[in-house]
Amino acid sequence: MVAKKLQIDSVLRPEVLIIGAGGAGLRCAAEICERRPGTSILAVTKMYSPQKSHTSTAQGGMAAVDPNDPVDKIIYHMFDTWKGSDCSADQNVIKKVCEPAWEQVLWLERHGMHFSRTQEGRIAKRPFGGHMLNFGKLKACRACYEVDRTGKGIMDTVWAESLKHGVVFLNRTLATELLFRNGRCTGAIVLMEENGKFVAVLAKATVMATGGKTRMYQVSSNCRQNTGDGLALILQAGLPVMDLEAVQFHPTGIVGPGILASEALRGEGGILRNKDGEPFMERYAPTAKDLAPRDLVSRHTMTEIREGRGCIHPDHKLPHVWLDLRHIPEHIHKTRIQEVCGFFRRFVGVDPQTQLCPVTPTAHYQMGGAPTSEFGEVQKDAKEIVHGLYACGEFAAASLHGHNRLGTNSLLELITMGRVVGERVAANLHDAEDPGDVPRDAGQHVFPQFSRYLESCGKERYARIRDELCVLMTKKVGVFRNEKNLAEAIEKLGELKERARHTKLAGTSVIMNQELLHFWELDHLLNVSMVIAKSALARKESRGAHYREDYPERNPEFQYHTLAYMTEYGKVTLSRRPIDMSIFEAGGEHYERFAIIERKY
Amino acid sequence: MPQEYDLTLWISRYDPDTRRSWVQDYRLQAGRILRFVDIFRKINDEQDPTLAWSSSCEHGQCGTCGMKINGKPLLTCELLVENAVRLFKTQAFTVEPLTIAPVIRDLVINMEEAYARVHSVKPYIIQPAPPHPEGDEYRISPKVLETYVDATRCINCFCCATACVTQKNYLGPNAMLANIVRLMDPRETAKQERMDILYSEQGTPRCRTAQACTFVCPKEIDVAHFIALAKEGRCA
Ligand SMILES: Cc1cc2nc3c(=O)[nH]c(=O)nc-3n(C[C@H](O)[C@H](O)[C@H](O)COP(=O)(O)OP(=O)(O)OC[C@H]3O[C@@H](n4cnc5c(N)ncnc54)[C@H](O)[C@@H]3O)c2cc1C
Ligand code: SF4
Ligand code: SF4
Ligand code: FES
Repeated sequence: MVAKKLQIDSVLRPEVLIIGAGGAGLRCAAEICERRPGTSILAVTKMYSPQKSHTSTAQGGMAAVDPNDPVDKIIYHMFDTWKGSDCSADQNVIKKVCEPAWEQVLWLERHGMHFSRTQEGRIAKRPFGGHMLNFGKLKACRACYEVDRTGKGIMDTVWAESLKHGVVFLNRTLATELLFRNGRCTGAIVLMEENGKFVAVLAKATVMATGGKTRMYQVSSNCRQNTGDGLALILQAGLPVMDLEAVQFHPTGIVGPGILASEALRGEGGILRNKDGEPFMERYAPTAKDLAPRDLVSRHTMTEIREGRGCIHPDHKLPHVWLDLRHIPEHIHKTRIQEVCGFFRRFVGVDPQTQLCPVTPTAHYQMGGAPTSEFGEVQKDAKEIVHGLYACGEFAAASLHGHNRLGTNSLLELITMGRVVGERVAANLHDAEDPGDVPRDAGQHVFPQFSRYLESCGKERYARIRDELCVLMTKKVGVFRNEKNLAEAIEKLGELKERARHTKLAGTSVIMNQELLHFWELDHLLNVSMVIAKSALARKESRGAHYREDYPERNPEFQYHTLAYMTEYGKVTLSRRPIDMSIFEAGGEHYERFAIIERKY
Repeated sequence: MPQEYDLTLWISRYDPDTRRSWVQDYRLQAGRILRFVDIFRKINDEQDPTLAWSSSCEHGQCGTCGMKINGKPLLTCELLVENAVRLFKTQAFTVEPLTIAPVIRDLVINMEEAYARVHSVKPYIIQPAPPHPEGDEYRISPKVLETYVDATRCINCFCCATACVTQKNYLGPNAMLANIVRLMDPRETAKQERMDILYSEQGTPRCRTAQACTFVCPKEIDVAHFIALAKEGRCA
């Protein structure tokens, strides 16, 4: 079968296009509607329904300092975020996110989120890793939560609010190319999977909120759709991405599927053991032991595995260590860790009360993303923004997290930055330029790209390349990195990209063709992986989640954000963006805490 | 228990380009703790890349992967091979899409139509109660929350709606549940509108209390219990 000539089938003209209908995208939509009722908004999602977006899987909670709390203070939260980031978050953004946090919790609560409650009927809070009182002295209780499904509560709330305001959704629809006119973003070309039609969406404002992007690792807590599409579109448009080397690995993913087994398990006394049953964290961190920070525990777990003290899972054929929960009293199993323990029963057929649980570090979160101003405006370099284009959520890097994110700060970021972007878009809409006609060069990227998939021939197989990519990224661009491995990875990525050109589709329909989608996603995974590897190679220091064995210390020479451009595969141009230190520079109370400080727990 | 099973899958296929439907057999060996979604991936990787199916979170939290396995609606990301063999006492399975919406291709359905029923019950707060006098959050005691918190766990996987004995002119169990949540939520004041939805022709009169919904719900929500409460007027 010869592929049909691909073309734009029709044009849609909402005022605002939102690419990605997860927690961030829809909080933004709700804000626009509240500020400017009647705005026409179109939101596209890869999912069956916006409600299925990955935000719905977040467990632990959302950080916010309650002004009624007698001991907690916003300045502590800001400090924890700065320290956690290994001094590479932007302080203007930290302020922008932490200060209105409680207000945003109230927004969610008033719009129907079912937060867990205290006996007095108020919103309950729990402690979480890295969140402390008094500048690192005592555990703080500032994670607001809905049982162990906080993300679902958030997702349901912003989704329902968007429905209430009449936001229009296109589900199972892929953003495939951004459109520009005279340097201004005027929308995107989307592919509707169910009818195979390419539609040009022309809008005065485009908001990207495509979420997480770590499916290039063998074990990942991310959903099937998190293939870095958004970043690939940004790169394709000649725009930069920021800090992609900063990938967070959570120490306890369930081996195989990579499902997250919450920190709470270790909080309740769970112990990591190697194949000889030794509680190895005692050796590496005699005081904090199993409750040392995420990046440390992940590294030590990997060391055990690399030095031959891990096990190989008989079914998944993947290396792992054990999480021992057998000694934890039955009532705790029943009341506090029931859901997560249920994951072990359900997915690896193990009973945590009587058996050891197989766990391994899982790729979990990417701190980097599309660089934005503190208002969520996408940047084309360290100084200038792209008019008409905004970003928020895990996809964006403003950056709140620098090179390491604290648990519960991401959900907070979705909501606060989603709101900030909504406010900005609404304010800019009244005198925003009309997007005009479909640009003459529209489709310059996507049509050749899809034609290539539809026409390519060869003996290479998609699944092989995907699996090799995941193994490569895990082994060479994973928890540990060094110059030799990174250089090898970069070379191998080039080969994989070449091989990917020689795969042949079994069916050339454009309607709901899952294999075609996989080819497209694989290209994105390869592109984003290349930028991760190149950025990691250039950062000759260790900072937060980015760990270089050959440069194990943080180095002041690298006190900046990495900006990376890639318009041709493998040709990555690197540049820098300064880290905002405005809290420190303002010299207010406690300003000295926001200097370049040591990160010790 | 064996480590590997020899499986036979009879999978419902549909090609939108030719409008042809058929059932295709696949035979494969699979490890005992593979999930059904892993099996579909294995089929794509090793035998037939054209088979289309849906999933997202792959750990039972999003409700994207519902299908009928040997007639039973369930989440295929939660179904391990060894459990399926035990549950159905066979190593041969029929795999069909959920029947609540038209098929787009193979096992992928057009969820929008099914979701329209959830949208129609307005899953948000229609008319919020005035805020607490102190200006902060509403006060909801854990006891009150307890009465409806289970109903808030619904992920709209539509397994219940597929199993429900009433298939025509009915909102379906999960949309009923979404309305009941807000009837029981003290922050909602539009109770009359909610009651009207509840008792409308597409509401309670259509439920025949057969409890098929409760029986299949992967979140173990006692859906029929909530609908029964509503019928007795004990929700608001
Ligand atoms: C298991 C797990 C537990 C977590 N727990 C916590 C926690 O307790 N606390 C916390 O703060 N954070 C937590 N996180 C992190 C946090 O949940 C995520 O960072 C956050 O939910 C991402 O939200 P988002 O709105 O940016 O993206 P998402 O919710 O992932 O939404 C992305 C949207 O973009 C769409 N999309 C993607 N690509 C395209 C495309 N090409 N075209 C069209 N649409 C597209 C998707 O369909 C989706 O609608 C957790 C993450 C995971 C994975
Ligand atoms: S109890 Fe009602 S809702 Fe549930 S299956 Fe029976 S008829 Fe359907
Ligand atoms: S009630 Fe249960 S079965 Fe029905 S949609 Fe909700 S989660 Fe699924
Ligand atoms: S894929 Fe999310 S519930 Fe199965």
